[in-house]
Amino acid sequence: MLYGLLVDLEPLSSEFYDEKMYVYWNNETAVTATMGSPNLVSRAEIERIQEHRRGGRERGYTGVHFMIRARDGSVIGTMGLNWVDEWHRTANLGAWIGEPDYIGGGHGQDGLLLLIDYAFDWLDLRRLDLMTMGINMAAQGAVERCGFIFEARRRHGTLVNGQRADTLQYGMLREEWPGRAVMVERLNLRARAEKRYPDYFGNGSKGD
Amino acid sequence: MLEGTIVDLVPFEDDYATYLKQWMNEESWFRARPFDRREPHTEHDVKKFIEDMEKSDHGQLIGFQAKNGDPIGGLLYDHEWTRVRKAAAIFFVGDMRYEGSDEVLDGLLMLLRYSFETRGMHRMDASVLAFDETRLDAYRRAGFVHEGTLRQHVRWDAAYVDLHMLGLLESEWPGYAQIAPTLGLQASDLEPKPKPEPEKKDEKKDK
Repeated sequence: MLYGLLVDLEPLSSEFYDEKMYVYWNNETAVTATMGSPNLVSRAEIERIQEHRRGGRERGYTGVHFMIRARDGSVIGTMGLNWVDEWHRTANLGAWIGEPDYIGGGHGQDGLLLLIDYAFDWLDLRRLDLMTMGINMAAQGAVERCGFIFEARRRHGTLVNGQRADTLQYGMLREEWPGRAVMVERLNLRARAEKRYPDYFGNGSKGD
Repeated sequence: MLEGTIVDLVPFEDDYATYLKQWMNEESWFRARPFDRREPHTEHDVKKFIEDMEKSDHGQLIGFQAKNGDPIGGLLYDHEWTRVRKAAAIFFVGDMRYEGSDEVLDGLLMLLRYSFETRGMHRMDASVLAFDETRLDAYRRAGFVHEGTLRQHVRWDAAYVDLHMLGLLESEWPGYAQIAPTLGLQASDLEPKPKPEPEKKDEKKDK
């Protein structure tokens, strides 16, 4: 468990697989989350995906994935390290918020800070990277504010709604990471969490 | 056989499969595929790699040789993303006498001809370790555009080095017949290597 302000990152559970995954993979958020490659999935397919993931470690799969739970208790998406390369000590980050009402407002950024901290401080990685699309201006702003540096624009790297779209690559080196506490301050996350979840924070004394 | 200007493309089999046992353990292999772990590739690994590429719906391993039949190395059309119509264009030089030669450039051009003109790709990807000027030069001469650099992305010889990201779009590829004559490709005319010893097949022991 990784505890944040607007969100916590938890192990993926049946709460996600049995309920949320079906919704997210079949709604509009899939277009953004999959860089334009959404597939409609059946419950049987989700069961097969789950089964495949269960045996991942034995096949050498090194990814680490979490479920995102918002401060009000709702599961809102997933986030994780897609490919942890222990040799080069890098990982690729991915995130998918499947509930439109929770996109923006700092949920993704709060989760990302938890994930970056985990990758550097616990997995001892030295570089992280992620990709987004040229048309996704909101994601670009969010990851740049979290400290990622834009590194490459792969022209026509994907196809979305019939249009060619660039894919953008971002990177962060460990020495560029000031630590989660500094970033929480810089992004004003505590105030944003208190405003969004006044019932939870009350007089502002709760939370990390 | 697909005939280029100073090289030909052939199926990756016979002598190529024998040479690959050595080539896959040389530095030029790891420069072509920088994410491979720097570990010994056994005969089993080499055989499996060739088999996997043969079976792949999204890739192809191709041999390229001088006009006198001397094997030079391999071309990898890989990671095809059919929906987007893009793939990776990778070449590796096995016989290092040809490193930086026009034969290698012609091999790359022939790979692009295959990618754009046979497989119908919209975009080709490539990446080059930042210190590897020779590979970068080949990609640039073939028309690839530098699209950015991933900082300290690859562990290499006690350091972490940058990786240049390159791309070439269908609209930027003039066609093999158009580009090849403009590059003044000159054959190296090297003496062909001695052919490798034929593989000994396992003999069943009669008891």
